[in-house]
Amino acid sequence: HSAPTRVACTVAGGTVLCRGGRLLTMAMRQTPLTCSGHTRPVVDLAFSGITPYGYFLISACKDGKPMLRQGDTGDWIGTFLGHKGAVWGATLNKEATKAATAAADFTAKVWDAVTGDETLTLAHKHIVKTVHFTQDSIYLLTGGNDKVLRVFDLSKPEADPQEFTGHTSAIKKALWCNSDKQILSAADDKTVRLWDRNTMEVLKTLSFDVSVSSMEYIPDGEILVITYGKTIAFYNALSLELIKTVDAPASIHSASLHPEKDFFVAGGDDFKLYKYDYSTKEELESYKGHFGPVHCVRFSPDGELYASGSEDGTLRLWQTAVGKTYGLWKCVLPEELVSENSDTLYCNTPEIKA
Amino acid sequence: MKTPVPVLRLPRGPDHPDSRGFDPSSPRFQALRSTRGGAAAAAAGLPELREEQQARSLLRQRYLRSLLAMRDAQVRFRMYERVHVEARFGASDIDVLNFQVSDLQTPIGVQKEALLRCPDMISYSLEL
Repeated sequence: HSAPTRVACTVAGGTVLCRGGRLLTMAMRQTPLTCSGHTRPVVDLAFSGITPYGYFLISACKDGKPMLRQGDTGDWIGTFLGHKGAVWGATLNKEATKAATAAADFTAKVWDAVTGDETLTLAHKHIVKTVHFTQDSIYLLTGGNDKVLRVFDLSKPEADPQEFTGHTSAIKKALWCNSDKQILSAADDKTVRLWDRNTMEVLKTLSFDVSVSSMEYIPDGEILVITYGKTIAFYNALSLELIKTVDAPASIHSASLHPEKDFFVAGGDDFKLYKYDYSTKEELESYKGHFGPVHCVRFSPDGELYASGSEDGTLRLWQTAVGKTYGLWKCVLPEELVSENSDTLYCNTPEIKA
Repeated sequence: MKTPVPVLRLPRGPDHPDSRGFDPSSPRFQALRSTRGGAAAAAAGLPELREEQQARSLLRQRYLRSLLAMRDAQVRFRMYERVHVEARFGASDIDVLNFQVSDLQTPIGVQKEALLRCPDMISYSLEL
């Protein structure tokens, strides 16, 4: 055959092509997709599950206006308007029908993620930093600077929340785990605590020398990803036993493990995104792109891309398999780059801002 | 020298800085709005026609998504002249006139790559 056959797989950052029976490797450079719209640092982001309409992404920003985007393209869908202060945490339920946000205006808000309407405002006594839905979207966990974890029953909004006290400093992150039977919380008191949702006692505590900067829970496989200092640590989420640690070249603010557990990505103070092999702990790639420290990074639910939020006010989407056709990225052969249709493809501008 | 991965376009941003978004005419909004009560988009013109158009576009979207979900699945095709074949589905062309399949099992052997003409099909089935 004279026309090249495209093999859509990547080998260590390249794209393998087959032309007339010969294999060619075309090394491709990662093109991050920049999502603009926020005017202040992006401090948190979360993906929904995979829905019949694709998957979605919510970003929390210090400008007080969290945004909803289409997960695979980064296209803006809407902005949740209502908070009167910086939004520190944001989350979506699995179906992307509800959103929740945690803000410096001492409230957590629940939103209809389809219409953008605010459905509930939950008053707190201090800055709220973190919010998380249970799998059934009925309960919302919140945590913040008043050091108390709260569980709100969204079907009974007037009822008092369940309160979990114990942390001695501001709570940064709280998550449901173990099929929503337990709660994991990380605070500035340099501990991570595992709580039983019903008895409300602390089942286990992890202590660190420094504050934990981020936490991610992978239900499938029960893995907990914790970052502190320059370290990315992986724990068994049920026993809180350490699985492994990896040290990065710079202080890390957030890390995320790929759904298939073959890679993880991390970002922090040096503005770069790092990609590692999870089994070998080998650093595979590092990417420049952000103009400020990276505050949050998360893999999409299908693992095809990861999103990062930065002090520079942008969200960037990065391909897991560089060069693969997915979302807005298009795999092309060398000749196609100079065809008459090349003006419809952006291929020579590495720094692209929307 | 590495070539940067080409992109089709840039991600779309907000229309203007204070824009709220959440377009009521989006397929997701239309499909899920019945659970929200009191649709904001009161139809101007013929309500029945608008409703039918909405149903059509919803069904079309669902069909296109079903084609995506079919990728690499084993599909059984019932064709005219009492022909039954099975193959691994690859893709459809833009007009849904041809299906690209692999390992097509026919009474005269297995065809590694083939194009099936959609007008020749009566039905097809697969397991998700």
